[in-house]
Amino acid sequence: MPRSGLAALAAIAVLACDGGLQPVARCPSGICGTVTIRGTEPESTHAVFIIAYRTFPQTCDDIPDFVPFPPPSIALGDTVASYTLPLPNGQYEWIVAAWKKLGPFTLTPADTAVLREAGFYRDPPGSSTPGTVTVSGTGVDSVDFVVDFDSLHPITDYVTCAGR
Amino acid sequence: MRRAVSARIGPLLAALATVPAVAAAGQDHGVVLGAVRDSVGAPIVGAEVRELRSARTTYTDAAGRYRLTAVRAGAIRLRASRIGYRGPVERTASLAAGDSVQLNFVLAPLALQLTQVTVVDKGPSRIVADAVTSVAVIDEEAIASRAVVRVDEAIDRAPGVQLLNGQINIRGSTGYAQGVNSRVLLLVDGAPANQGDRGGISWDLVPIDDIERVEIVKGAGSAQYGSAAMGGVVHLVTREIPVGWHGHVRATGSGFGDPGHEEWRFRDSPGWRGGLDVSSGYGSAVVRGRLTGGGYHSDGYREQDARDFWHVAGRVDWDASESGRLQVGGSWAVDDYEVPLAWCNAGECDTRGQEYLPFHIADSDRGATTRSQKGYASAAYTARGVRTDWLARASWVRTEFTDHRPTADDHSLADRYGLELRAVSRPGGSRTVTVGVEGALSDVESDIFATHRQGEYAAFGESQQQAGPVRLTLGARIDFLAVDGASLTAVVSPRAGAVTQSRWGIWRASVGRGFRAATLAERFVSTDALGIRIEPNPGLTYETAWSFEIGNTLAIGRDALLDAALFWTEASDLIEPALYFDSAGAHIQFRNVSRARLAGLDAALTAAPFTPRLKGTVAYMLLYARQLAHDTVPEQPLAFRPRHLLTLSADYGAGPATVGADFRYSSRVEHIELEQLVALGAIDGRRVAASVLDLRAAWRRGPWTVRALLANALNYAYNLVPETLAPMRTGTLSLTWAY
Repeated sequence: MPRSGLAALAAIAVLACDGGLQPVARCPSGICGTVTIRGTEPESTHAVFIIAYRTFPQTCDDIPDFVPFPPPSIALGDTVASYTLPLPNGQYEWIVAAWKKLGPFTLTPADTAVLREAGFYRDPPGSSTPGTVTVSGTGVDSVDFVVDFDSLHPITDYVTCAGR
Repeated sequence: MRRAVSARIGPLLAALATVPAVAAAGQDHGVVLGAVRDSVGAPIVGAEVRELRSARTTYTDAAGRYRLTAVRAGAIRLRASRIGYRGPVERTASLAAGDSVQLNFVLAPLALQLTQVTVVDKGPSRIVADAVTSVAVIDEEAIASRAVVRVDEAIDRAPGVQLLNGQINIRGSTGYAQGVNSRVLLLVDGAPANQGDRGGISWDLVPIDDIERVEIVKGAGSAQYGSAAMGGVVHLVTREIPVGWHGHVRATGSGFGDPGHEEWRFRDSPGWRGGLDVSSGYGSAVVRGRLTGGGYHSDGYREQDARDFWHVAGRVDWDASESGRLQVGGSWAVDDYEVPLAWCNAGECDTRGQEYLPFHIADSDRGATTRSQKGYASAAYTARGVRTDWLARASWVRTEFTDHRPTADDHSLADRYGLELRAVSRPGGSRTVTVGVEGALSDVESDIFATHRQGEYAAFGESQQQAGPVRLTLGARIDFLAVDGASLTAVVSPRAGAVTQSRWGIWRASVGRGFRAATLAERFVSTDALGIRIEPNPGLTYETAWSFEIGNTLAIGRDALLDAALFWTEASDLIEPALYFDSAGAHIQFRNVSRARLAGLDAALTAAPFTPRLKGTVAYMLLYARQLAHDTVPEQPLAFRPRHLLTLSADYGAGPATVGADFRYSSRVEHIELEQLVALGAIDGRRVAASVLDLRAAWRRGPWTVRALLANALNYAYNLVPETLAPMRTGTLSLTWAY
């Protein structure tokens, strides 16, 4: 084959080798899903964070043991918000949306006053049972749940905070 | 219904495929022979000689001689061409059965001709003859070799030309604005044919089998053709109608490739396209006529992309006298198609764990269809005199569409009426003077664009003068624009050019002013898109541009031809969509917002360095397209203009068979329209460079021609506009029988 022909083939190969559009996994790792937002957002809202607990917290001292850190917050303008939690492999017993009031937060048990549970992943959907999610290698998608601003619960509804 | 159509077409294709090839030799055949020489009588080696009825091709030997055997008797037409020589040149003769005829050709060495220009013996159109800027011509063989069903697919690989979702860009002229404008003018046999409401181009207006060649004039053409020619002109020249009975039948079948990634699959069985076109005509020395009809069904290459299309077209020529000719032509096409508005992003459908699915559509777009009807009619009378030729032309273009959307239906009807009177005078010497008047009236009744009328009235004049070795052109046109009966606005578009030949090739230089009136769609559109209100802007004014070009065409030896042009355009009051916010939310409105600069290099090298059977072309365009700083907006790239556009083409012919390939690389566009919508998350701004390889082959025997095309052979997934996947690998087989 003439050199010019080889050069043309080489040019085609080089220019075409980036592959064009490629599939992009929406959830390559960790946990992903959507949050459906209901109710009236309180004016004192600072943000709503999505966090995960490997084991369901039992006491106020367990509250800071969430991952990831810093936690991602969700966009509150839409009725459905997507989220991605970059998590290491493992089992997670509670995927929860934590509403945070305006004000300082120092990640101590005393800060339960400014935190509310706004919703959590339930399995089966609609039940009151927290769903457990296992991450092993690839991401887990469609971990969807509801945030209801009209039904915010103090964290003490779930954990025991002795002496407070 | 679609399946039913497919079911009917499938057996037909199969039946046609099994028809035995006719015996070429023997009865009713003869021999054509002759020689091809240059203007001093020297033999030209390796010149291509093609018999156009059967498309059989041969090449001249060392003595410049050629010989074609088993040529069917009757009226024959031969074409001779060679790189580095003016041409091709055509000759006709009558061949008796069992007899032979000698046809000799003279090809002049390259003179005043640009690289991609094909100037046939019967004369180029005035569009090409008067051009002082670069011109590209795609002839019937190049169109046929693409085995495509629409003309835009055939011209998409022309140097410096790029189609963005059907919107043509010549050296980056138009960008992409959802089809509501075009800075390129479409002419059909000289008659303007842009849509009356959107100013865009309906590429399926003329059946591709009726097109003899496409002439593309690059650079501002407003001095001759007014609005819309600001960025160039595309001229569709329909076939001449020969004497006697003639016609052809073409059956086409295509298969669409699957997505290259399992995650993107959207159907279990392959998608198909099948169509049939029939053309027949009869001509005498005085009157000739032709009728063409056909259609196709396509499943499409992505979800909700099916289409049913049919068309009919006709042309009648009447040589009323030795010097006068009336040409009447027209077409009508109906296109029913599903609309894949945008691909599916996360949250818009079951994305199977993907961020986006380019072959799928959003659930909210399901059920969107459009019925589009379009047609044109034109009548032109030309009278040739000793010193003056006259032309009178009337034309009508209608476009009508009904969008059926899940939320609401929209309907739009637009008519564009045109009149032209032109005189071309040769007062003596080597001077030619052209003067004329032209008028156009666009009427629109639309749910989206409301009811409006726009008038454009113009007078123009131009003089071409040979002054020694230089051909000088000087002309101007004044256009008067009026919308809804308001006062007239005048726009003057001058141009000047010079062409000369030297030992270093042919040099050309030109400067011209172009303009484009805002389309009725840009002024009055009122609808919703992407959840954003699109507001009308009745105060929109015309946009203008000064264009400069200097170019050279150089023959390199006997086997190569190089054409290169430097171009520079300075545009003002460019009409662009602008996003703004107020208390009611986000809005989009077309505004005269910006000055812009488009400059670059457009070069093409055509060569047959090893054997005349193998021809190759390398074309490259470097484009610097910037929107200049204005108000608080900093300078930024113009939307939808790739910086690099590379085209490689090669064709090899051996007897009745030819093979060829085209490769097009278009760099990733730096900027897209309404980039803010990407930042807001309203649209997915994902885009890549385009690298598309097309492979093609043809085989001819007697009246039969089989063509194969593997478009996007690498199955390269890319998009040229946001959220719109470009066609994937498509294999096409067509069978043509001509008589």
